[in-house]
Order: sequence, then C-alpha cells, then structure tokens
Amino acid sequence: MTSPRRSWKHWFLRHECILLVVLVAEIFLFDALGRKFLTGANIANIVRQSTEIGLLALVMTPIILTGGIDLSVGSLMGLCAVAFGMLWGELGWSPWLAMAGAVVVGALGGGLNATLITRLRLPPLIVTLGTYSLFRGLAEGLTGGTKAYSSFPDSFLELGNGFALGVPVQVWIFVVVAIGIWLLVHRTTIGRSFRAIGFSPEGTRYAGIPVGRRLGLAYAMAGAVAGLAAVIFVSRVAEARASAGVGYELRAITAVVLGGTSIFGGTGTVAGTLLGVAAIAVLENGLLRIPGVPRELFGIFTGALLLLALAAGVVTRAWANRRVAEPKAAVE
Amino acid sequence: MKAFPLFSCVLAILLGLAGCNKKSESQNNGGGKQLLVALLPKSKGNQYFVTVEKGARTAASELGVQLLFDGPLDTDAAKQNEIVENWITQDVDVIAAAAENKAGLSSALKKAEAKGIKVITYDSDANTDARSLFVNQATAQGIGEVLMDTAAKLCNEEGEFAIITATLTAGNMNEWRKHIEARLAAKYPKMKLIATNPCDDNKDKAQQEATNLIGANPNLKCIMAICSPAVPGAAEAVKQAGKIGQIKVLGLGLPKENRAYVKAGITQAVILWKVEDLGYLTIQAAKALAEGKLKPGDKTFKAGRLGEVQMEGDNIVLGKPFVFDAGNIDQFDF
Repeated sequence: MTSPRRSWKHWFLRHECILLVVLVAEIFLFDALGRKFLTGANIANIVRQSTEIGLLALVMTPIILTGGIDLSVGSLMGLCAVAFGMLWGELGWSPWLAMAGAVVVGALGGGLNATLITRLRLPPLIVTLGTYSLFRGLAEGLTGGTKAYSSFPDSFLELGNGFALGVPVQVWIFVVVAIGIWLLVHRTTIGRSFRAIGFSPEGTRYAGIPVGRRLGLAYAMAGAVAGLAAVIFVSRVAEARASAGVGYELRAITAVVLGGTSIFGGTGTVAGTLLGVAAIAVLENGLLRIPGVPRELFGIFTGALLLLALAAGVVTRAWANRRVAEPKAAVE
Repeated sequence: MKAFPLFSCVLAILLGLAGCNKKSESQNNGGGKQLLVALLPKSKGNQYFVTVEKGARTAASELGVQLLFDGPLDTDAAKQNEIVENWITQDVDVIAAAAENKAGLSSALKKAEAKGIKVITYDSDANTDARSLFVNQATAQGIGEVLMDTAAKLCNEEGEFAIITATLTAGNMNEWRKHIEARLAAKYPKMKLIATNPCDDNKDKAQQEATNLIGANPNLKCIMAICSPAVPGAAEAVKQAGKIGQIKVLGLGLPKENRAYVKAGITQAVILWKVEDLGYLTIQAAKALAEGKLKPGDKTFKAGRLGEVQMEGDNIVLGKPFVFDAGNIDQFDF
C-alpha cells in the first residue's frame, strides 16, 4: 500500500497535481502571449484582486466538505461593507473598530444561516438562497441603493492598496486565514468530522459527533470571513456600497469545485481550493492581457477549464486504477 | 496531505518566474513607440459606449494610436478599478475613463497618475485631482439653450409649454432649467412656461403627468421632457390624447428609444450630443495631452475632423448638443 513508487504515482495523479500543471501552463502561455504578464506589479495585482474571492473560497471549502453550500457570502459582503461604512461614516468609529464591527455583522449573518440550517433542519441551498436575497436587500435598504461611503483615511486604504514586507498587505491576512483553515480541515478532529458529515450526516450523528455544532461553526466562520473580505474589498476600491461582492459566491464555489472538492461533500483539500482560486485568477488576468481578446471570453474559458479539469481528473484516475489493478490480478 | 509544500511550490514558481522576467519590463520604453491609450466605459455592452468606442477607433486609426477598450460587462464600479489597476501594470500611456463611481474610481486613477500615466475623463467626471482634463460632452448652458431654442422653433416662438423633469431636486436638471428659463426670458417674450412637473425618472409616471397637463391646459402647444424616460412617456401621452402634431414633443434622450415616435411625427426633436464624436474627441485629447500639445487652461484645441474645440479651464467642451429629427435620426444607432 505505501511502497514509495505507489505513493509517488498516487501523488502525481491527484487532482491538485493536474491543476498545478494547468496553472503552470497558463503562466507560460500568458507570459508568451500577454502584455507584461509576468511582472512583479502584475502578480501583486492578481493577488490583490483575488484575495476576497480567495477568502470566500477558503471558508466555502469546509462547508462544501460537509455536503452543504453557502450562496449568501457575496450578499453578506455587501451587507458588511455597508455596515462598515455606516459604523465609520455615521457613528464615527475608527476604521479598525468598524472593521471588527463588520466581522461581527458577518458572523451574525453566518450564525443566522447556521441556526436555520441546524435548528430547523432546512437544506443549506434553500436557507442561503433566502439569505442571499435578504442580506443584499438589507444592504440596499440601509443605503437606499445609492448611498456610498468614501474618503477613508489613507492609513485604512493601505490595507487594500499598500505593501508590507514586499507583498500586498492583504496577502498576510489571506495567509493567516489559509493556514488556519488548513489546520482546521486537515489537522484536527473537527476537520475530520466535516468530511464525515459530508459522507453521512446521520452516521456521524450516531457516532456521537455534535453535527449541529460543527455545521454551525462552518457557516458562522464563513460569515465572519465574508465580513473580513468585505472590509478588504472596501479598502481596495476605496468605497463602501451595497453592491460589494455581487456574484462572488459563485466564483468562490467555482474555485472550490475546480480545486477538486466534491460538491456532494466528503472529499476535498484546502490546497486544491487555493490552486483553484489561483487558476481562475491567473486565467482572468492573463486572458485580458492578450491584445484583442474581449472580456466576454473569460466566462467561456472558466467554464471550459472547470469541466476539463474535472473530466481530466476522472479519466486519469480511471486509467491509473486500471494500471494498478492489472499486476494485482496477475498475482492472483 | 502535503498541501502546504505544494502551495509553497506554486508560490516559488510564480515568484521565480517573476524574477527572471524583469527584463521585459524595461523593453518597452524606447522612443518612437506607438502610443497606447486605454479607454474605460461605464459598461461595455451599453449602446451609448459602443458608439463612443466607434468614434474612438476612428480617431485612433487616424492618429496611429493603439487603443485598448475594456470595461465591466454591466455597470460595476469595483470592476472599473480592477481594469484600471491592470492597465497600470501594462504601462499604458494614457487612461481615458468615464467614472461610474466618482470617489472609488478616483483612487485608482490617482495611482495611475502616480505611475506617470496621463489620465483624462470623459462623459462622467472623476474627482478633479485624479485627472488632468475632462472631455465634457455638453455644458448646462449649451443644453438649456438648445432645448429652449428648439422648443421656440417648434411653436413659432409663441404659446404655452410645459417641462417634465426627473425630480425637482436633481442637480444637473435644475441647472438646465435655470438656463432654459434665462433663455426664455431673454429671447422669447411670447412664450409662457405653465408648469414644471417631476416624473421620478419613470416613463409611466411621465406619461401620466403629460396626460394630466394635456387635459388641464387646452392651449398647451409643447411638452419639453428633460429626463430621458420622459421623452417617450410624453410622446405616448400625446398619441393617446389624439393630439399628434397639435402638441409638439421634444426632449433630451437617446435617438434609438425615440425613433418610432419621431418617425410617426409625434416627437419632433430629440436632443443629445453626437456620442461618436465624444469618443473621437477623447482620443484626440489623449494623444495631444501625451505629446504635451494640450494642457489645462488652453483656450481652444484642434481636434482632427471636429476642428477647433472650445475649452473652459480643464474641460474640453464637445460643443452644442445635436438635434435629432425625422430627417436625420435613421443615421444614428444609439
């Protein structure tokens, strides 16, 4: 089972590895065709512009591992952006205190999802479809749909636009969250229980694992991180308004699924999600740097990439299993 | 689960490649290179901006300028920022932007200026400290005067007319009304403004207001709609009241959405600037600015086929708005 040859092959044929090849191929392709693609400034751009979606994808991973989904995180970003703007602009809080406030609002929003899902046993798809409209509606209602907060102090705008130790400031936040989620998912019994819930929620419950509390943790965490993403977004675009994060939930889900996490739950890795986020971010940025390529193509390529990566995973694994199975059969 | 080694591998590859590619950054700054101008619309799919692009392409090919045209697929302020930031790293020479969102876009434009990129705005201005020039499609005075002059012409300079506006608090429309009323007082003593009613920028409400005005004022000769939904709204009201031709309709709007009414003789005049010329002028200005031939404070600016264009401070003014009528409306596709 664990002979070095076997495990090497096993590693090589993993979904993450296929994705890594795709990512490197993208990088070489865009370096050859795109205008000034591989420059320090552009890499900083790619990282900045994908931080918020990356954060959402990170917290979406445990949720999808449990077999759930959260469609409300993009709308919750809008609500948290507005909350941040109001706390700072109307109540005069400092940006950093308002940031904490936005994270709390996010956690409460996630907590609402969690309560409805675990106490009322409603399907996550339905609950978060409801809060998807609810959160965005609240954000629009609070601002009349048009009011926006801007002229934030420069010290706050550094969060989304500045550099710390040579990399964009928000990268450090992203790295901390990524390590936290990775540890949680891959190094704790809680992470193991997420996967167990994904395979069989009832079985997990009979095994004595507090399924409700675990699910609650996953959704509340997603909410809090959506609040964090909202504040980073506000700092990056220098404006807080209700339209923050429109469509981000689907982009985050796409990244997670592209990263190899099963939409039915049970299997998936944080590394896969990170690679999924990177593959999409590089694709969007690079594609638009090729002279004459219209923006509309990005959607087509993302869709094709997702379907091809998933199909490639299935085909290579089937091929590998056959190759591994043959000598065994000969022995018997 | 060797997840982190894997991820750090990717990072290392990315950063490594970034490092060994520094050479390409310094390649493109040589002299005699084609000027690279990036044009940002509020949204790419909007026919208005498609028309802007058409004019911009004409100017770009006349001037030998390389033109990048990209924008959000629908109005998305945050996407505008991302596009500008990506242009900054492509070392474009000039960015010409129509701001969906003044404060937000200004922060990205300032970054571009800090990197030595020339920035101008068109159609919809950013903060004045985030750009050097604004290509202004029409001044309030120009709009007000053309509206009043056209109405007077339609009514033979006498009789009652009414205005339908969006809201009584809308800043730009009140500015236009001020100039309409000033022109009225100065030039057309036999004409009388009997009402100014708001329609909340809503076509149905405009139709209702127009119907009420027609019912209450038997001598009404003309309805002037100064917000775009009100032009077809007023036309529909006139049609349903059976007063086609007796009550003239004119207003500020897009030729396309009024074409049917104009061809049917219900609406006599639609007023707007020539959108294609706005794109053309923007690229002309971008090139001249990059070459140091144009600066804020100039009195006039020679813009190719448009000839001498007036400037007011740091605004380049496209000129008087254009009157679209039954004779010419088929030539315009926006």
